[in-house]
Amino acid sequence: MNRLRLLAAVASLLACVPAQATQPDHAAPSADAPTTSTVPTTLGEIGRRVAAAEPGATLVIEPGVYHEHLRLTKPLTIRAGGKVIIDGGGSGDIVEITGPDVTFQGFTVRNTGIDLDKENAAIRVLAPRAVIKDNIVEDVLFGIDLREAPDSLISNNRIGGKALDIARRGDGLRLWRSDRTIVEDNVIHDGRDAILWYSKGVVVRRNTGLDSRYGLHLMFSDDVTITDNEFTRNSVGIYLMYSTGVEIAGNRLIQNRGPSGYGLGLKETDRFVVRGNLMVGNRSGIYIDGSPLAPDVPGEFSANTLAGNDVGITFLPSARGNLIYANNFIDNFNQIAVAGRGNLDANQFWKGDAGNFWSDYTGYDQNHDGVGDFVHESATLFEDLMDREPSLRLFLFSPAQQAVEFVGRAVPAVRPEPKFTDEVPLMRPVPVAALPASSSSTRMPLAAGGAILVLFGSGLLRLVRDPAGGPGGAL
Amino acid sequence: MIKINHVSMKFGRSVAVSDATFDIPAGDSVALWGPNGAGKTTLIRCVLGLLRFRGSISLDGRDVRRDGKRARLLVGYVPQELGFHDELGVNEALRFFAALKGLDAVDTSATLEHVGLAGHGGKRVRELSGGMKQRLALAIALLGNPPVLVLDEVTASLDAVGRAEFVGLLERLSGAGRTLLFASHRLDEVATLARRVVELEQGRVRRITPVAAFVAGTEHGAVLHLHIAAHARQEAMRSLSEGGFSPKLNGVGLLVPVAASQKAAPFRVLADARIAVEDFEVVTSAHAADLATRARERRETQP
Amino acid sequence: MTTLSLAPNPALRSPPSALRNTLTLARRELRDAVRSRWFLLYTLAFTVLGLAVSFVSAAGTGGSGLSGFGRTTAGLVNLVLLVVPLMALSAGAASIASDRERGMLSYLFSQPMNPSELLLGKFLGLAAALLAAISLGLGSCALILAWKGLRTNPQSMFWLCGLAFMLALGMLSVGMLISTLARRASVAVGTGIFVWLMLVFVSDLALMAGAVALRLRIETLFAASLVNPLQVFKMWSLHAVDANLDVLGPAGLYAVEEYGALLHVMFAGCMVAWVVVPLLLASVVLSRRSPL
Repeated sequence: MNRLRLLAAVASLLACVPAQATQPDHAAPSADAPTTSTVPTTLGEIGRRVAAAEPGATLVIEPGVYHEHLRLTKPLTIRAGGKVIIDGGGSGDIVEITGPDVTFQGFTVRNTGIDLDKENAAIRVLAPRAVIKDNIVEDVLFGIDLREAPDSLISNNRIGGKALDIARRGDGLRLWRSDRTIVEDNVIHDGRDAILWYSKGVVVRRNTGLDSRYGLHLMFSDDVTITDNEFTRNSVGIYLMYSTGVEIAGNRLIQNRGPSGYGLGLKETDRFVVRGNLMVGNRSGIYIDGSPLAPDVPGEFSANTLAGNDVGITFLPSARGNLIYANNFIDNFNQIAVAGRGNLDANQFWKGDAGNFWSDYTGYDQNHDGVGDFVHESATLFEDLMDREPSLRLFLFSPAQQAVEFVGRAVPAVRPEPKFTDEVPLMRPVPVAALPASSSSTRMPLAAGGAILVLFGSGLLRLVRDPAGGPGGAL
Repeated sequence: MIKINHVSMKFGRSVAVSDATFDIPAGDSVALWGPNGAGKTTLIRCVLGLLRFRGSISLDGRDVRRDGKRARLLVGYVPQELGFHDELGVNEALRFFAALKGLDAVDTSATLEHVGLAGHGGKRVRELSGGMKQRLALAIALLGNPPVLVLDEVTASLDAVGRAEFVGLLERLSGAGRTLLFASHRLDEVATLARRVVELEQGRVRRITPVAAFVAGTEHGAVLHLHIAAHARQEAMRSLSEGGFSPKLNGVGLLVPVAASQKAAPFRVLADARIAVEDFEVVTSAHAADLATRARERRETQP
Repeated sequence: MTTLSLAPNPALRSPPSALRNTLTLARRELRDAVRSRWFLLYTLAFTVLGLAVSFVSAAGTGGSGLSGFGRTTAGLVNLVLLVVPLMALSAGAASIASDRERGMLSYLFSQPMNPSELLLGKFLGLAAALLAAISLGLGSCALILAWKGLRTNPQSMFWLCGLAFMLALGMLSVGMLISTLARRASVAVGTGIFVWLMLVFVSDLALMAGAVALRLRIETLFAASLVNPLQVFKMWSLHAVDANLDVLGPAGLYAVEEYGALLHVMFAGCMVAWVVVPLLLASVVLSRRSPL
């Protein structure tokens, strides 16, 4: 137990390191990155054409495989005229944009070096207003790395990391002091993080993040809008730290089950709105640690659907001032958990007439106003015991667990204190937002599986047919 | 065919069979005779290799304990009563036991015809009467034409008509060189079916005699077979014992040995005790001797 | 009536092989089981309860079709934990004891076969019956869930089915051991139900109490839970479906960290032991005891 706590403390310390203002550069790009650039001075074929072009020109590159490292130092529009592959040959960065207003579109950029210290990147942008569009970036350490490149557009790129151990991977996408950048319609997979550092007013929409560490990570990035993204099978879906004024809406956060495994984590974040998101099958749908920090503006959670997570929302005991209403809590093993012990009196689980929909609500609605006639109190004896003695989780899903819960309901003396109360629980779920489009096709395998089982079972029964007929055969 | 060599069997402290030794040559027909508890059924179970007895028993040289599977291949066995699965069909039962005996195919209708069950193959076992069930058991025992038939009080739960038919059937079967070992309470059965009689008393073999000598030597003038409802049998036993008789229980009622001049006396005792006698038969030793003689004659005239 | 065909067979056949006898008995047992009320009743109950669980969990999602390993699978695991052992234990417990009671056992033993063939044949026949019941029950649940729009990998259904069958085999084996020991079928079935109660509730509750009162270390807790085949089934199905046991808290984390991929082998080992050991004991008892 003590060791666990110690581990947790160390982990949170480590997580805080980059946040300490005195040494922000520790995990951030080296200040002298441009001078350590690995892009060589000898020019390749594209490099020669770029060198020859006037600022503001548009270059269309012929299809082919180009083994070169490219530096774009002036405003240019450079486009692939077909399948253009720029291969870094497994060393250094590949494309470096140091001039402003560069549009880089339609290329396949692949095979960077794997030097984590030098942060080898496929596309590094060091100037404002870059447009990085429609590229395929694969087999890279860092994918697209923006350093002080405000007002850029990162759109419709597909970024795939090298098949490395997570500790040796780089970030699929990184923004460093790149305010007002728009990140949209990208697919980022098998990287470390997609991360925003000190970047204000960024819009992140319609992106997909798969099989990475942090689907999206905000550090000290304010007024960011995160909408309609999907983050699946990452260690953590979206994690906000020390950021203010964040809108998170319409995102799908599914099966993020790393060691912490949050769909959405909020650490010391202020002025946030979490609306219409879908969190399914995460270790914890939402994780709230010290948010909101300033109590004057409540953290708002509404119209979210949390389903099939181990825990719907995990609160650290310090969390207060959250307003949680009109959400669906469906079949989470623990709908609401408080890490450590404590109650959630400083948070509110309803707003006006609207509480939340709880799949485990046992009350009824006699006057048909859509609101349950009894308050919803989360208090099962087994959950209470688990909070006290975590190792009892081993007995989850067993009939013995139900026996304990039955006793908890039947015997008032052992009924635990409720962790929270929803005064106006909803009888019906609110419309589920952010559902993936197709669902009819994916149920086929299950139906087929069921059919196979049924056929198999009845086939077994047919074994009893007496081959010679007679009364033994016909039942 | 059957060699029984110094066989002893104990259940806990009580001795069921004690040092029994005798041979039954092929084609012989031997009755085990004795009161309840004399060890007849136990000895039969030993012959089938069902019990862990001391001594040895072999069937055609096959030891029933060490080589039980092959030894039992030689035996058709009919128990006193058989508790088939309710839903079992008659044909199905035949096919099942045929498979256990290693027969690939069985002509169920012919087999049933032999035991007088023709046309009953489509029925469930539970639809059969007691006598028909015993016939089915006999049909199963005869599957594969085993050289040895072992019968344990097979008629005990049958009524008079059923028993007569069944014994007739057995008599026809026991010819044709088949070895027969059976336990019985009934003098008439023994006289009809046996050639030799092994008398058992408290687990010991008292003597082995040819059937004619056995019938001639029976002490009792007659044996009354009283059919009495199950619930009244214990009461009847007590009343008769108090009245100076030595009754024995059997499947449908009581056997009461009586002197030739006392055949009606037990009825009076039972009437006083208000116990109804549903039916009765009298077997006299003269009758039994007659049966034995006729059986021998039939055997001798057979080809 | 001709006496010719009733004459003893002079050509001595060899007795059927052990395999053949076992299969004959297995077929017989399967047939009896399928026709008997207990089988029908259990299959029906299992299917209906499974459907109820599926419907309730589908309804709990508010028709959103959202349910991961959530309540559905948990509910089905729970159902399997309750019903399958009861089914298998009582079927096993009734099997030999009721034959003994009816005098059928000694009659069967008077046929050319060995006790172990009877035991194995009955075991296989009942196992097939249980497998049929389980796949019918869970299969129809899968159909309902698919119809209700649940998007789940059918693989987890197959796992659940297979593991439930393993559990059934283990419990059947225990039931048959009880059956060989008991004199009467009613006593055997009663004992089977008692064992079921012990495994389902008492042992877990005792272990829980132990964990709280004695502050058992998680290693101990995990090891202790491996003794109970129901716990093994539960942990195995979670592990198989989720490739993880973190749902089960510290003890689950410990198990995965400590044993990793070995867990499958450990769980399989426990289950196989629960199948094989009671069956071997039953075979010894059956061949030593009088069949009366």
